[in-house]
Amino acid sequence: MSALNNPVIAVIVSLVIAVGYFTFVDHYLMDMQGLDYWYL
Amino acid sequence: MGLLTGKRVFSIMALCMMVGLLLLPIVIALPSPAIGEEAPAGDAAKKDGDKVEKGRDVYYKTEGIVVGAPAPKTTDGPKDYPRYNFESRVLIWFANQQHLYYGSFVLAVPIFCMIIEFMGVVTKDKALAKRYDQLAYDFIKISLTAYSLTAILGGILIFTFLTLYPAFFGYLSSIFRPVMHIYALMFVAESGTLYIYYYGWDKMKEGFLKWIHLSMSVVLNIIGTLLMFLANSWIGFMMSPAGVDEQGRYLGNIWHVIHTALWNPLNLHRILGNMAFGGGVVAAYAAYKFLAAKTDEDRAHYDWMGYIAMALGVAFLIPLPFAGYWLMREVYAYRQQMGITLMGGLLAWLFIIQATMIGILFLSSNYYLWQAMGRMRGAEKYQRYIKYLVFLLICGFLVFITPHTMVMSPAELKAMGGQQHPVLGNFGVMSAKNGGINVMITTTVLSFIWYMRGNKVSTVSWAKFGNIFMGVFFACAYINIIWLAIYGYYIPANVRVGLSVPQVATTLSCLFFMFALNSVMMRGAKQMGAIEWGKISVRSQYALIMLATAFTWMMALMGYIRSSVRLFWHVNEIMRDNSPWAYTHTVGFAANMISFNVLFFWISILFVFWMGSLGAKKVPVEAKAGIPGSVPQPAASH
Repeated sequence: MSALNNPVIAVIVSLVIAVGYFTFVDHYLMDMQGLDYWYL
Repeated sequence: MGLLTGKRVFSIMALCMMVGLLLLPIVIALPSPAIGEEAPAGDAAKKDGDKVEKGRDVYYKTEGIVVGAPAPKTTDGPKDYPRYNFESRVLIWFANQQHLYYGSFVLAVPIFCMIIEFMGVVTKDKALAKRYDQLAYDFIKISLTAYSLTAILGGILIFTFLTLYPAFFGYLSSIFRPVMHIYALMFVAESGTLYIYYYGWDKMKEGFLKWIHLSMSVVLNIIGTLLMFLANSWIGFMMSPAGVDEQGRYLGNIWHVIHTALWNPLNLHRILGNMAFGGGVVAAYAAYKFLAAKTDEDRAHYDWMGYIAMALGVAFLIPLPFAGYWLMREVYAYRQQMGITLMGGLLAWLFIIQATMIGILFLSSNYYLWQAMGRMRGAEKYQRYIKYLVFLLICGFLVFITPHTMVMSPAELKAMGGQQHPVLGNFGVMSAKNGGINVMITTTVLSFIWYMRGNKVSTVSWAKFGNIFMGVFFACAYINIIWLAIYGYYIPANVRVGLSVPQVATTLSCLFFMFALNSVMMRGAKQMGAIEWGKISVRSQYALIMLATAFTWMMALMGYIRSSVRLFWHVNEIMRDNSPWAYTHTVGFAANMISFNVLFFWISILFVFWMGSLGAKKVPVEAKAGIPGSVPQPAASH
C-alpha cells in the first residue's frame, strides 16, 4: 500500500484505471445500442 | 405493558387498514375492464344483429371491439365552449397550474418525511435522531395545510373544466371511466393515511411502534405516487393517445389508454421534478425563517433544515435532466414533428429560457454549497479552487443555452447570415449541449464531495492514493464528456445520438463511485472542528430562495410547453380544439402568465406557512448561543 501512496505511481495507476474504465463504458454502451463507437 | 401491547395491536391494525385501502381500488377495478368490454359490445350486437364493430388502435395497432363514442367534433359556441367575458384557456391554465404546484408539493413532502424519519430511526446518535424526527414532523405539518388547499384547488379545477370545456371533459372522463373511481378512492386512502400518520406521530415514537409508523409513510407514498401516475395518464393520453381508434372511440382496453408512449417518461420526470421542487420550497421556507430568526438557536435550526431540504432537492435535481432527455427522446420517437416544434420550431425560444433556468438552478446550488463551506473549519483549503469550478460551470452553461434553430423574421435571418449563426450555431447542436449539461452536473457532484469532506481529514492508510485517484477520475470524466461532445461533430447523426448514453454514464459514475469512495475514505476521519450551524452568510439563504423560485418558474414553463405542443388539438390528432383560443400564445404573454402563476403560488404558500406557524409556539430553549459547533435544539415541541 505504501507504494501506491507514491504520487507518481498513484497517478499512473489512477490513469490506467480511469482511462480503461471510460473507454470500456464508451464502447460497451454504444455497442449496447447497436452503434459503433470506433466508427471514425 | 398491557397498554403497549394494546398500542401495538392498534398500530398494526391501522397499518393493515392502510394497505387494505391501497388494495381496495385495485380489487374493485379488476372486473371493470371485462364488464366494459362485454356490456357495450352486447348492446351493439343486439342492435346490429350479432354484428360487432371493430376498430384499430391508433398507437398499438391492435384490433379491438368499439366500446365508446367517437370524440366530439366541437364548434365554437356556447354549447361546446361556454365562457365568461374572458379567455377560458387562461382561466384553466391558472387553475391547473396552482393545483399542480400544490399537488406536487404535498406528494414530495411525505417522501421527504419518509427519508428523514428513516434517517432518524437508523441514526445511533440519540440527539441527532431526535432532531431528524422533529424535522420530519415539521415537514408533515407544513404539508397538512397545503394538502387541504390542494383538494380545494382540485375541486376548482374540475368545476372550471365542467364550466368552460364540457365537451372535452366529458370525452376524457368517458375514456377514463374504468379508472375514474380508482382515482377518487385513492384520494380517500391518501387522506385517511395522511391523517393517521400525522396524528399518530407522538403515540408511536418508540421501538417497534416507530417502525410501524415508518411503514405507514411508505404506504402513504405508494398511494401518492399511484395517484400521480393516474393523473399523468390523462396528460399522456392527450399528447400521445392510445387505446382508441382514429375517430377516438374507446376499444375496451384501459391499460392501452393509460400506458401511452409518453406515460412512463412523464412518470419518472414528474417524480424527480416533484422531489426537487418540494426540496426547493422547504429550503426557501427554512431560508425565510433563518433570515427572520432572532436567536442563534433558531438560526442554527433553520440553517440545518435548509441544508437538508436543499441536499434532498439537489439529489433529485441531478438525475432530472437525464429523465427530461429520455422524455424528449420518446417525444421524437412518437412524433418527430412534435419534437421539432418543441426544440427547433414554434416553442424553441421557450426551450432556451428553460436551459437558462436549469443553468441558474445548478449555479445557485453550487453557490450555496460553496457558501456552506464557511460554516466548517478546514474547508478553507478548497476556497482557492472554487474559481476553476465557476469557470467550468459557466463554460457548460454558455454552451447549454446556445440556440440552434430558431423561428426568425426575414430581417433577423438576413442580419445573421442564415438560419444558424456561422460561429455560435456550432455550439447549439445536441452533442455540445449534452456535454455542457454533463459538465455542470459533474461539477455539482464535485462541489458536494468537497462539502462532505470540508472539515475532515482522512486517516486511512491509502488516503494519499485515494485523493489522487479521485482527482484523476474526475479529470478523466471531464475529458471523456468533452471528447464525446466534440466527437459527435465528426460522425453521422444516427451514431451521434447514441453518444448521450456514455456521457450520462460518465456523470453517474462520478456520482456513485466517488460518493462511495469518499464515504469509505472519511470513515473515522479526523474532524477539524464541528459544523457551526447558523454561521453562514445571508447570501446563501438568498441563493436558496433563488433556487426555489427558479424551480417554480421552470415547472410552469415546462407545463406550458408540454401543453402547447399539442397546438390546436385537445387530444393529439383525435379531438380538435375549435375554441377561439386554439392558437399558440406569444412567448411574452406566456412568460407573463408563468410569472403571475409563480407569484400567486408564493404569496399563497407564504400564507400557508404563516398559518402553520400559528399553531407552533416555541418552547423556550436554554441559551447556548455562541458555542462553536453547538448542536441546534429542536425548535418546537409537538
